[in-house]
Amino acid sequence: MTIQINLNQPPFSFLSEQQLEWLTRRLDLVFFAAGAVILDEGDVSPGVFIVYKGVVEETGKNGQQVFSQYGKEDIFDVRAVLESSCKHRYTAIEETLCYLLRAKDFIQLLDESSDFSIYFKTDLGTQEELVNQRSNDVSEFILARIDEDSIRPPVYVTGQTSLARVATIMEEQKYDAVLVRTARQVGIVTGTDLLRATLLGDKTKQSKVADIAQFELVEVKYGDFLFSALLKMTQHHIERVIVTRDGDIVGMLELMDMLSVFSTHSHVIAMRIEQAKTLKELVVAARRLEILIDSLSGQGVKVVAIMELITTLNRRLMERAFELIFPKRLQNSVCILVLGSEGRGEQILKTDQDNAIILQNEHDREAVLPLLQNLHQALLDFGYPPCPGGVMFINDSWINTVDGWVGKVQRWMRSGRPEPMMNMAIFMDAEPVCGNRGLFVPVKASWQSESLRSSMISAWFAKPALQFETPLTFLGKIREDHGTIDIKKGGIFPLVHGVRALAFEYAISACNTLDRLDKLHELNVLDDETTQGLKDALLFFLRTRLRQQLEQESDNPGLNQQLKLDSLRSVDRSLLRHALHRVKKFKQLLVNHYHLESF
Amino acid sequence: MAPFWLLKKLPGYMPPEGRWEHLAEPYKGDEVVVLDCETSCFDKKKGELLSVAAVRVKGGEIRLSEALDLTINSNAVTDPDAVRVHYLRREDRRKGVAVSEAVEKVLDFVGNRPICGFYIEYDRAILNRYIKQLHNFQLPNRFIEVSEIYVRQKRKYIPELQLDLTFEGLAKDLNVPVIERHTAMGDVISTALMYIKLTHFNQRR
Repeated sequence: MTIQINLNQPPFSFLSEQQLEWLTRRLDLVFFAAGAVILDEGDVSPGVFIVYKGVVEETGKNGQQVFSQYGKEDIFDVRAVLESSCKHRYTAIEETLCYLLRAKDFIQLLDESSDFSIYFKTDLGTQEELVNQRSNDVSEFILARIDEDSIRPPVYVTGQTSLARVATIMEEQKYDAVLVRTARQVGIVTGTDLLRATLLGDKTKQSKVADIAQFELVEVKYGDFLFSALLKMTQHHIERVIVTRDGDIVGMLELMDMLSVFSTHSHVIAMRIEQAKTLKELVVAARRLEILIDSLSGQGVKVVAIMELITTLNRRLMERAFELIFPKRLQNSVCILVLGSEGRGEQILKTDQDNAIILQNEHDREAVLPLLQNLHQALLDFGYPPCPGGVMFINDSWINTVDGWVGKVQRWMRSGRPEPMMNMAIFMDAEPVCGNRGLFVPVKASWQSESLRSSMISAWFAKPALQFETPLTFLGKIREDHGTIDIKKGGIFPLVHGVRALAFEYAISACNTLDRLDKLHELNVLDDETTQGLKDALLFFLRTRLRQQLEQESDNPGLNQQLKLDSLRSVDRSLLRHALHRVKKFKQLLVNHYHLESF
Repeated sequence: MAPFWLLKKLPGYMPPEGRWEHLAEPYKGDEVVVLDCETSCFDKKKGELLSVAAVRVKGGEIRLSEALDLTINSNAVTDPDAVRVHYLRREDRRKGVAVSEAVEKVLDFVGNRPICGFYIEYDRAILNRYIKQLHNFQLPNRFIEVSEIYVRQKRKYIPELQLDLTFEGLAKDLNVPVIERHTAMGDVISTALMYIKLTHFNQRR
């Protein structure tokens, strides 16, 4: 008798073959009529139920408060088995068929398999980690080949070039080795060669490069496996090889570049951003970020790490564009801020440009405006869609002097209306990325004054976190919602905004939500469990959203906030439920903290 | 049904004796056994038992973990058509148990509980044929026909209602999943679900 549920997914996949076999022989099948109460508060659960067909709702005793819903392959109520009795009421909404694993059999499995028991006995974060460990695909780096992405175009000098000139070229091109062409042959000279020849040897700045170049080149063929290049480097104790195609030199392969190919292409992209001399080159690098995210996510890199990396690269990208567009004179008299998710460092796929600018002198405005247009266009080319709310430095209301911004912040804060409050919220996540960062200091200080924080303003500020309903009854409504939930409104926004409000109240200067949570924890505003729970929940939302955004084919996958529930694995559905539950609890905490029930 | 003492006096009635005497005692519990046999051909007199499955049902619960699922080591030549129905080739049956052992196990499993099934008359005839040969009695248990309960409930208010009385038809109308049709165990589970739905669910309302 085969069991009609998929046992190849966590937590069952943690069991051995024999344990699974044993498990399938221990399952009973129970059939419940629509409306039947499966378990009631205070009941001793006969075991864990695994839903095969139908929907079960978990509610409070009087059926008022809905905690959660369970669909196919979801498991309940583990807590009732591990603890003494059931805390909530479980009702079959439709006719429901459940497999029943008796308590003693379930406990026996927990005793036998440590992974299986860890899954059930630990919190969300550990559960998620355990699941991710198991579901990583085997990385295919071993099969990567030498291609355009991994090599650098060669830079040639003639044999007659002076060492000083070679050094300059290396510096300009940001290359550590150049090829030396003489009448008869081609050689290579590296930075180390130059150092050794001038500092240790008897060569001067004016010596000819042909004298120190090495003409015995180690070559690999274009299209070879990368690891064969790695082998050659190890054999010859060198850090770069020449790549040839049909006998012609097409480029150089550096050890550093190759290592970065092996561990994603992030280094290559960073390098391209650094080396870019035109906006066009930056666009190429920017367009590559998405592929990078995809491969990082596919390799199971943690979402925190991806976030940090992408934030760094994004900011660097913007800074380079800024350096290319703004003349040196103006670079120090403005400060460009990124706002919203980009400012918090939580943007992974490009969503929109939220940015603003601080001017040092009002009279620079005229000069700066056309440059800002250019920068805006560059950002569009990089793939940042324009901000639908117009929160961009090309709009007058987001260009201001220091004094102007300080005044604006005061007006926003004291307005008590939702719209200015949301502007304030976006602006509060500002992070200076280019230009004179000093200009931002007095602006930021303007909203960290004691009198603002302790007043009604903080309550007004926190209120939008309650704006959207937590979609906690989604499973039953799956058809109505076309099987999706809005993860931004339902999960991410309330969490992020609530944390932002608390950060404002306690004058925490960090912008990243995870950092803010840590600070709030340090200040004893939030307890251990809430802090960890919210962090886990946020990372889970971001990771799940990212995964689905990457799967879909569209120009701006980052704009999609709809989470398709039926393409989630059942274990992810259960994690999602837990995470949303945390958000709901957090919203309650905010209501109590700011007395929002009276608003 | 006539009382037991009267039945015993009827000519042709063969009550169990000795080891199986308890089968004829009236049943006091609240369980039923859902049972299904697969045979070599669809004929009460000739069909040889190939596999038999049974589960105990109590309330809404199907005791799968204690289910009986036996394959019989039979040499019967199977109709190629029948193989296509139940997928039990002669090779598959090699590992099975002897038919006498299977029958004893079924009797032990069932005890004096009512026996329920879809077209249970056929299974009853097959089992009785073997039991008569081996132990010289016939099953005294109460038999419950699922399709009969179905018809009775459906025609309670509309007597002339046209009904699809095939296994699939019932499953569809009752919205019960058909699991591995034509394996004894799969059919038993579906039948058990139909039974629960027809009896248990309606009593509650």
